[in-house]
Amino acid sequence: MNIKEYFISKLPYIIINLIIYLLFLVLMSIAKMPFVVMFMIFLVWFSPLMIYIILDFISKKRFYDDITGIINKLDKKYLLPEIIKSPNYYEGKIIYEVLSECNRNMHEHVNFYKNLQKEYREYIETWVHEIKTPIASSKLIVENSESKEKNSLGDELRKIEEYINQALYYCRSTDVNNDYIVREFEVKESIKNAIRNNRRDFINKKISVDIEDVSGNVITDLKWVNFIVNQIIINSIKYCTDNDGILRVYTTEGNDNIILTIEDNGIGISKNDVSRVFDKGFTGGNGRKYGKSTGIGLYLCKKLCEKLGLGISLNSIEGKGTKVNIIFPLGNFTRMK
Amino acid sequence: MPKIMLIEDNENIKKELSEFLMRYGYEVNAPIDFENIVKIALKDEPDLILLDINLPYYDGYYICKEIRKEKGIPIIIVTSRDSEMDEIMSMNLGADDFITKPYNTQILLARITAVLRRTSGSNSICEIVEHKGLKLNVTNGSVGFNENGVDLTKNELKILIYLMKNKGCIVSREDLMDYLWNSDLYVDDNTLSVNVTRLRKKLHEIGFKDGIETKRGLGYILL
Repeated sequence: MNIKEYFISKLPYIIINLIIYLLFLVLMSIAKMPFVVMFMIFLVWFSPLMIYIILDFISKKRFYDDITGIINKLDKKYLLPEIIKSPNYYEGKIIYEVLSECNRNMHEHVNFYKNLQKEYREYIETWVHEIKTPIASSKLIVENSESKEKNSLGDELRKIEEYINQALYYCRSTDVNNDYIVREFEVKESIKNAIRNNRRDFINKKISVDIEDVSGNVITDLKWVNFIVNQIIINSIKYCTDNDGILRVYTTEGNDNIILTIEDNGIGISKNDVSRVFDKGFTGGNGRKYGKSTGIGLYLCKKLCEKLGLGISLNSIEGKGTKVNIIFPLGNFTRMK
Repeated sequence: MPKIMLIEDNENIKKELSEFLMRYGYEVNAPIDFENIVKIALKDEPDLILLDINLPYYDGYYICKEIRKEKGIPIIIVTSRDSEMDEIMSMNLGADDFITKPYNTQILLARITAVLRRTSGSNSICEIVEHKGLKLNVTNGSVGFNENGVDLTKNELKILIYLMKNKGCIVSREDLMDYLWNSDLYVDDNTLSVNVTRLRKKLHEIGFKDGIETKRGLGYILL
């Protein structure tokens, strides 16, 4: 709080006093009062006024400096009313009360939406688990049947399963709780799992696979990584060229990380689009041309990677292919041996 | 024949899974009385229990715990709850394995064989499939006929296993490739043809002649 500005804000008050005093002065000079008396009246009039203003300034300065100091340092600014002390002057108390009230109300409001979101999330989770039972039984029915449509029905079921999984992970990715469990596993497991999931597409589209150079263990959540890898491989399959599709997966070991690279020789992504592939809802030129893109897959991958503390990047040359790198950090912290 | 008890309350899954497991040579018992399920399981003494979590009366964790108190029957928990907590809880209660729905049936089968092999002791470790005197040792990948024997490569072994499981039926190339890819063997069309030819040659060498026939446009058949 600046004394000069405070004084300026009190200026009208002082000016009014001065004007009244001047009027008084005119009256007194008409009454031929001696100058000393006029000066005495001035002192009696203005010194308490000034003392009052100064005292007021001091007490207010303490409170407001407190607030402004704290608010600048505070990370979560809405916590302010819970930190500051109640001031000892009337107006301050009113403000203090109002602030606390606002804060309380805001918390209630936020909690309301938090609960709403939590309930919704819980509903989605149960729904996903419930729908998995009929899918499981449908899969078994398809497996046991001898009909011609067996394979294509199976494929469709698998797609349904994938979309449901996507919903589940989307819902998990927006949650504040991190419900994953970190443990050590072989990167190769994750890749094999994804290829197994999509094997029919690989066979039908005659895409060959090379995962010879995948090695090493990483320490993170297996299921989330499985999901991420699966999404990337689905993309590679979706945008592969009609013949001679090749999916090459390999790892490179750095000083403090393992980089998993998933490389295809598909249609690639144009220069303008590359930087935006991880944006939510971004489908780009390929999405428009091939019309199967939702713009959710890679966005989710990015988000899940951020949550797990993994790095993800994508390079692509249009017409040549796409390369996705997932970087697993291997700090001293994760090397639990 | 190993006896599997299927504890599952969903009628469809129960029916289809029983059918599926029976096709692969298991004896399946799926009880309907969930109130006394623990007693039934203990009395029946199956070689393996496939257990769902969401069940009427008691949940799967409770059943798993109760069975474990009495007997060491291998238990595989099969559930649609897939959080890590569920998995850890199952393992803590003594389940031997944990599979989430909807499962890949080949993986389910593989897990079942693995658990059975692990728990049944050393005598039955090597798994032998037989067809018209042709003995296939799945564990060490060799095949024998009369006195002769020959070792198979991984691809050949898998192809022969699949043909033997479906003996007398036409196996399409598509299904065969699907099976191979499911076992993490990424073969293409040409490799498959080469492998089948080599396999045929090897079988021929040990005296098992004209076993694998090609049905043009349809696939292969083991006679």
